[in-house]
Amino acid sequence: MHARVGASILQLAQATGTSSLFVVGTGKNVGKTVTMRAIYDACVAAGVLPGLTSIGRDGEAIDMGDAQPKPRLFLRPGTVIATARDVLPRSPASEMLALSPLRTAAGNLVYVRVRSDAYYELVGPPTASGIREAVAMLRRFAPYVIVDGAIDRIAALAGGEDAVVVACGASAAGTLDEAVADVRALVRRLCVARVEPGAPHVRIDGALTPGIAAELMRADERRSVVVRDPTKIALGGRAALHALERLDVRCERPLNVVAVTVSSAGRDRSFEPGALLHAVAEATGMPTFDVYAAQAA
Amino acid sequence: MKHGELLDDLSVRALDAAWLRDALAPVSPYGDRAYLAVEPFRRGSEGQAQEHAARIVRLARALDAARLDAVREVLRNVPDASPAIARASMGDALADANLLELQRFFDACERLDGLVGDCFELPGVASDAVRASARALELGRSGRFGFYVADAFDERLAGARAALARAQAEYDAVRGRAHAAVAATLGREIAGNEFIVMRADLSGTLPAGVRVVREAPTYILCELDADEATLGALARRDEAAAAVAQEEELIRERLTAVIRAHAAALDLATRTFGEIDLLVAAARFAQAHRCAVPAIGEDATFSFRGGRHVALEHELQREGRAFTPIDVHLDDVAVLTGPNMGGKSVCLRTCGFIALCAAYGLPVPAMEANVPLFDEIVWLGAGTDVEMGGLLSSFAREVVRLRDALARPRERRLVLLDEFARTTTPREGRALLVAVLERLRATGARALAATHLDGVAPAAGARHFAVRGLRGIPHRPATDDLHAALVTLAASMDYAIEEVTREATRRSDAIALAALLGLDDALTASAYDALER
Repeated sequence: MHARVGASILQLAQATGTSSLFVVGTGKNVGKTVTMRAIYDACVAAGVLPGLTSIGRDGEAIDMGDAQPKPRLFLRPGTVIATARDVLPRSPASEMLALSPLRTAAGNLVYVRVRSDAYYELVGPPTASGIREAVAMLRRFAPYVIVDGAIDRIAALAGGEDAVVVACGASAAGTLDEAVADVRALVRRLCVARVEPGAPHVRIDGALTPGIAAELMRADERRSVVVRDPTKIALGGRAALHALERLDVRCERPLNVVAVTVSSAGRDRSFEPGALLHAVAEATGMPTFDVYAAQAA
Repeated sequence: MKHGELLDDLSVRALDAAWLRDALAPVSPYGDRAYLAVEPFRRGSEGQAQEHAARIVRLARALDAARLDAVREVLRNVPDASPAIARASMGDALADANLLELQRFFDACERLDGLVGDCFELPGVASDAVRASARALELGRSGRFGFYVADAFDERLAGARAALARAQAEYDAVRGRAHAAVAATLGREIAGNEFIVMRADLSGTLPAGVRVVREAPTYILCELDADEATLGALARRDEAAAAVAQEEELIRERLTAVIRAHAAALDLATRTFGEIDLLVAAARFAQAHRCAVPAIGEDATFSFRGGRHVALEHELQREGRAFTPIDVHLDDVAVLTGPNMGGKSVCLRTCGFIALCAAYGLPVPAMEANVPLFDEIVWLGAGTDVEMGGLLSSFAREVVRLRDALARPRERRLVLLDEFARTTTPREGRALLVAVLERLRATGARALAATHLDGVAPAAGARHFAVRGLRGIPHRPATDDLHAALVTLAASMDYAIEEVTREATRRSDAIALAALLGLDDALTASAYDALER
């Protein structure tokens, strides 16, 4: 299904020269873990045994929020993961590499190397600083790190030199148009360009909030509005699109968004896969993949 | 670090007890636990308190700062093995993360002994029990710092794992063939269990071995079904995995049994870790602040020479200024007078800080000191009137604190009064302060009262000490910069304290100070006129 898709995304990510990749989604159950698994499988196939972690909880058999089955992570020997000690399978035994004082929802974080094929659950640190620490530590054990991210923990991307893959899907939106608008806004926000050196600008210390954005728009601000990085743009959906169209928002440290994935089959609804794939590709201008249908736009 | 009855909350703040607590803070979870239990020495244990302080100073002399810091680095990085030891004692088979914690702890014991084994002031931690337990885990060492329930522990485990690897390979092969067959039929690549088939791409029905998860108008969400061969291979893999799990668990139980057998000694080692952490933190404190062992005796006389308030000294050093050490001798109640900004409050705080250090058996920031163990150190007056109820005036708050302090039955108390009753009329304030000092003397307290009120010492029959004060009237700096004014003031002020033997009205230099701090010339001239009138 997804081997070629995973390989394509991995190739795009590695072309940016980054050594870590975050998968972030427009909501729950939009195929983040499936995307991560596809990229992971591509890494394994390429002989690169990566490090994995998650912001929050992933890979569990049942979604703790809604008791629905979740995609699981079947990991190969040599893979290194950062996860909570209480969710580690007792057998097969894993190689304990390091202990961390970072707390998660299921006990302190540990770094382990998979020694036998098995299903694993990833429960990573809930904070942005914690995830950055975990990524830095994983880099000591693995040449490449993949993080199953979360849209409400996007601050974890700040300060990192990561590639970013955005996942969207039917679960997070009522209609196909809504799904496309959401992902367009998120990608537009994450792809804010670097400020031109010497360009007249107004710098925002902290977050560009809806209040600040509205004030700048009212003042008909023509200079570039500069934030530290795209995670400091605290605007979502239509508000983000509106502000980004009216204001010349720039950043000091841009992110490397490399691809978008779509999941047309949601729990409560599904969209026509081809239509979603092509609409998202057109709206975002990004390489777009359907990880379930193994198709690229 | 408990204060118990030694300090109330306002005295904790006035005496910078929180600063001391932070300065002595341990770096390991073992030290944290030990620190929670630290409490002041009580009267009757003067010898132990003094020996404790002496041990810290000997340690500070035996190990230089670099070695003490190296010890702290080991302590800082060691994980907490106590829960694992407790779990083993209670019969739980330890998890692999617990075994790694223990291995790291044993490694840290060895490193600590290597670092300070030649120092008699610190106990050894790598006991026979530690070494025996470490040996038991050694087969699991993976790389330099890792742990793994390795095949080397038992050849049956190695056999079970080899069987599992074969079963997994067999399952992968069967599954791979199923994938390949479905992929060939569909004419596309598939991997994993779930995939979408577009109806437009499907000519006829779905291939055999595919289960429909969900149907939509344009596509079908499918899953690879498990045929008999797959189910058989899966069963054999699960059986092999169960055998591995059993062997791994047996090894964990064996290792846990070793820990359980040595649990008492290992627990002692963790407590020794905590003790070392506290001692090393105190030794660093003693080194950093040039502390001395106080003579802690049953005699109630409290005196020191060259005393410093290290929190304030630290603050002054940051501004490029120096603390002027002070001498105090307090064998009864006494009065301290002197100019504004002359260091009266600092003197009181220094007394309190030094008494506090001695109460915990710590070296004190002074060249030498005689310190009794006080039941209570009380700060009254300025600096304590902010926190209490808004309905009370400053004076009322002071009185309520005094009333409460006098109501507490304490045989030996150090009372530090900073401008007590300064907010009422000088005449009655003086009378009240005299009465308070007389009462404190009657209760056997040691008390020092800093005041601007005249004639308190002779009226109370108390010794009178005074800050020497300004050597002359300093010139106002050219700018209004407050920092420059303070530097000028510090250069002109003689902070030394001397006993006053002949009572006379003393200068407070308040008007000169007000001028130095920026009050305009006309106003200060007017003030001098008023003074003459």
